[in-house]
Amino acid sequence: MRGRLRALLRLFAVQGTWNYERMLGVGMGYAAEPLLDDLKRADPQRHTDAVVRSAEFFNCNPNLAGLALGAEVRAEYDGAPSAQIARLRTALCSPLGALGDQLFWAGLVPALVGLALAAVAIGARLWAVLGFLVAYNAVRLYTAHWSLRTGLSAGMEVGAAISRSWVPKAAAGIGPAAGFGVGFSVPLVAVWFLRPFPATAALGALGLTALGLGAAYVGGARYGALRYALAAVLVTLLVRMVLR
Amino acid sequence: MSLTVTALVALLLWGTLVGLDLVSVAQTMISRPLVAGGVAGLLLGDVAAGLRVGALIELFALDVLPVGAARYPDYGPPTVGATALAAGGPWELTLGLAGTVALVGAVLGGSSLQLVRRSNATAIQEATAALAAGESRAIRRLQYGGIARDAMRSALLTAVVIAGATGAALAPIDRATAAALTVVVVGIGLAAALGGAVRSAGRGQRRTWLFGGLAAGALTAMVVWR
Repeated sequence: MRGRLRALLRLFAVQGTWNYERMLGVGMGYAAEPLLDDLKRADPQRHTDAVVRSAEFFNCNPNLAGLALGAEVRAEYDGAPSAQIARLRTALCSPLGALGDQLFWAGLVPALVGLALAAVAIGARLWAVLGFLVAYNAVRLYTAHWSLRTGLSAGMEVGAAISRSWVPKAAAGIGPAAGFGVGFSVPLVAVWFLRPFPATAALGALGLTALGLGAAYVGGARYGALRYALAAVLVTLLVRMVLR
Repeated sequence: MSLTVTALVALLLWGTLVGLDLVSVAQTMISRPLVAGGVAGLLLGDVAAGLRVGALIELFALDVLPVGAARYPDYGPPTVGATALAAGGPWELTLGLAGTVALVGAVLGGSSLQLVRRSNATAIQEATAALAAGESRAIRRLQYGGIARDAMRSALLTAVVIAGATGAALAPIDRATAAALTVVVVGIGLAAALGGAVRSAGRGQRRTWLFGGLAAGALTAMVVWR
């Protein structure tokens, strides 16, 4: 099967047409195109059907989309029944979404961002930013390559291949690192920002932090830090206007 | 605040790449505010200011989990635009205002993402027949159209935030108010980062590691700035 490299590159734009109807669907179809080229010569009708299926509704974490893409394309070449391929696609949405979100958005990203923030605060400047980008993208590139390769070799057995792989273990294990990374950065960033200000101002800032945490605890999902910040800025401007 | 044409063009290009990186293309994390701000600072010749703005907005971004079909603010291009306001000035006085401009921009950015998603859906509906016929060309056209829409959104968002930053720089704000704004936005940024971390930590092992990280960070701060 040709077109693996082009498919891998296209996977980096799998969310290019993200929408609430097909979600990643069209992006998956775009990434599948080079892989399905050989099928066009072997079985034109099957190729047309496969292209239609490849662009239907699909959603998962983009970093693990290669698993679903590879498995679906392999199933097309193996001549699996269309209903079975559609079921595979549906069945992969939730686990690939949950695993990828846990591994990347709730794990690796906050862990590395926390460490980068801490490094910037203690003077690493742009080196910290560069280190963050290199570390994250090394993992991301490896995962994308591994995902597509695993999906293409496992086909309809991709579920078993995922559960045997490093992904579930990594997704479960990265959480503590994320907690530590963000926790480590907060005191350093706080001191970095607040050190030049008088103690009363720094205490005021920490009071606002405590108030925000309390509001988040009481308000739950209704609380938004962004709204709280904009409201506090407005109040500050009004108070300063009155005091002037 | 004054920008040369070269700096303005560079910021617009960088803001466009940053906006695309959030969802549509690559997701290399150049859309993280810390990266977006740091590089914007480099483009403007004031890396320190860019890193300060980036770090501040990053605290807010840590509160966001961009999972599934969640709606979230877009912090990247606004961080790029707001860095223009902070560059070249004393950060204690410019950071609060730059942060405010970036936060307003992030709200606009979140809404603009919804517009792009809706117009992507409209384009797909219009191409339903071609998609049902298995036309690869239609898929490619939709894909490039979606990316082009997001690029336009990102460029426009960066431009709007730069315009907002220019307006904010002219606002008659005295030094004490400017400093107060910095303290307020930093305080709430810290709450955002911690709140997000506590929420993600739940009650398990991750929470223990979060508190361990806080203690280690506090100790490191005492050693570094004693």
